[in-house]
Amino acid sequence: MKSLFACIALLLPQAVLAAQPIELSSQVFVERKVAKPDGKIAVILEAPKTVVPGDDLVFVLKYRNVGSAPANDISVTNPMPKAVIFNGTADGSEMVSVDGGRNWGALSTLKLPMKNGQYRPAEVADVTHVKWKLNQSLSVGSEGNLIFRGKVR
Amino acid sequence: MLPSSYRRLRSVSALPFLLAAGFAATAPAHAAGTLAGTLIDNVAQASYDGPDGPVTIDSNIVSFKVDELLDVAVISRDPGDVVTNPGATAQLLTYRVTNNGNGTEAFKLIANPTLGNDQFDPELEQIILDTNNNGVYDPGVDTLYTPGSNDPLLAPDEGVTVFILSTIPVSASDTDKGRVALRATAVTGSGDPGRVFAGQGDGGGDAIVGTTRATQSALGTFVIQAASVSLVKSATILDPFGGSEAVPGATITYQLVASVIGNGSIANLRIDDTIPANTSYVAQSTTLDGNPLTDTADSDAGSFSGTAISVALGTVTGPATPTVTFKVIIN
Repeated sequence: MKSLFACIALLLPQAVLAAQPIELSSQVFVERKVAKPDGKIAVILEAPKTVVPGDDLVFVLKYRNVGSAPANDISVTNPMPKAVIFNGTADGSEMVSVDGGRNWGALSTLKLPMKNGQYRPAEVADVTHVKWKLNQSLSVGSEGNLIFRGKVR
Repeated sequence: MLPSSYRRLRSVSALPFLLAAGFAATAPAHAAGTLAGTLIDNVAQASYDGPDGPVTIDSNIVSFKVDELLDVAVISRDPGDVVTNPGATAQLLTYRVTNNGNGTEAFKLIANPTLGNDQFDPELEQIILDTNNNGVYDPGVDTLYTPGSNDPLLAPDEGVTVFILSTIPVSASDTDKGRVALRATAVTGSGDPGRVFAGQGDGGGDAIVGTTRATQSALGTFVIQAASVSLVKSATILDPFGGSEAVPGATITYQLVASVIGNGSIANLRIDDTIPANTSYVAQSTTLDGNPLTDTADSDAGSFSGTAISVALGTVTGPATPTVTFKVIIN
């Protein structure tokens, strides 16, 4: 078995090196409101099979420590796809950037220069990146979700 | 030493206002939203402290395509009811069809003149596309529309002006209205909002019916404003003896009443009358609606040529009864 592992390591050095103790997965869902037979409106999440401008999207990022030691100073960043407007998170725990990731903060603290040299408050449509900092160590086997909403431009 | 995360947070808090000038905010290029066929790729990154320093990893990529939304708007471009006359041909109604979807789409056009709530049905002649896109019907330049053959193909947000030419029935009478509806329907399909035409969207995705049901219509309205004019002439005689005998020296006052009937207008209406033989025109005796007119051809409506009086009324909108008088003396 040992020789087999060594063989794989030789054949796939990149893959072995890339095996990291943190796993991150991204999922995107379309939020649909569906009328139920009793007349109530149900909100369902479905895979983004048909998507048109104005559709509400839900982004789910899952992180997990699959290594053998606690991981520290974890941050998770999601650049906004160009065709998607950031539409907030449930708890406001995120930081955002409106300038391609150079500067970060709560959206209400960010400003953008206008043509006349003045600054205007940044809006959700300006958000280019969303980021979370996990302020505690992630123990082995622990995992968590980060969820944000978007809208197709 | 501070934990690295704390240091990073401190530095972050100082930064938000130090923004590079010239950064342009992204804005959707189209009112209809992201173009059909655009790929949305989402990938996130996680970073953490590894044994040899900070490590950044990517998540999987989620990739999906923006589908085509089928939406259309049709409006009348006429500023109000279009004034016309019974029996008139090539009468014009103007509409605008706009692609409110996010994909390039062809639209089928149908004109319907047989509508309720009006007094006559215009007879359709042609549907014309404003090919040179100047908003004005140019006969011989703009193109005849043939359904299924040259259905206008419109990019997102693009519009086309459409003209409908009609003949007005001779039986239509004054103040009657006749309406024509122009309907535009997405060629890919229409129906209840949310209906999906799988794989038929511009850009290779699906096509989905939007809130306009991908079919809309607008009304144009003709109104008859007919007018006719008749002229009645009468004379009163005042003889030198206070009587009404037509003797030499008697003054004849002629009255000409033009009656414009209907709600239309008569253009360039002019009342001319030749001075009768064996009479002499009384200088400066012409009046219009009781107001004196000069004999010279000048800014007022009246003139005397030496043999006839003339009163130019211009365009007279009915109903109206402009009245002209003038005097002659029997020789």
